[in-house]
Amino acid sequence: MLLFRAEEHIENWRRQWNQPRGATLTIDQAWRLANAWYPNKMDPDWRRATLDETEALLANLGLTGPFWNLRN
Amino acid sequence: MSIDFDTAVRLALYEEFVRTSSPPTAERLPTQMQRPADEVRGALERLAQGKAIVLQPESREVLMANPLCAVPTPFRVRTLERSLFGSCVWDGLGIMAMLGSDSVLDTSCACCGEAMTIQHRGGAILPAGVIHFAIPAKRWWENIVFT
Repeated sequence: MLLFRAEEHIENWRRQWNQPRGATLTIDQAWRLANAWYPNKMDPDWRRATLDETEALLANLGLTGPFWNLRN
Repeated sequence: MSIDFDTAVRLALYEEFVRTSSPPTAERLPTQMQRPADEVRGALERLAQGKAIVLQPESREVLMANPLCAVPTPFRVRTLERSLFGSCVWDGLGIMAMLGSDSVLDTSCACCGEAMTIQHRGGAILPAGVIHFAIPAKRWWENIVFT
């Protein structure tokens, strides 16, 4: 997951390195994702989220569609 | 509260990592915990199998205790007390979220190299730029170092 100054920089980078288009998030979206994913990592009761829980977490942030699909 | 041994190892690892900006070595952690080395190594391997942490491929020392990374990367989070590295920009934001304190993520545009900062002050984020996820979510753990 890489940071770019703007959308056009993503396109320049993709062309230069022949990379496919993935998903683009604003910093606010990524901040909400980080806050949903990581804050309790140092807590005794942390556990890895189940597939269902991770799907719900992503969907709650509006991250749906084939790119965010976790199942085969 | 009673916690299981793997949890105790995870907590000791994270606490030392955040306090010193480096993970404890597989030699130091047993001394710190006053437990046999093979027990602690076993716990680290189980934590890695459970995708709670990532171990280095040969030495089996800690590489990532996500969102923290043991080696320098282009994603450095600074607080008043310390600097910590994340493996990617999302992990950099994850460190800021995990610590909760005011912090700055120093990084750069992956295309042109221009320096960029994302600031976290008083619980709010001061954004800069856009993030690109190249790998679809279900493939993130196929090669987490690349992801």
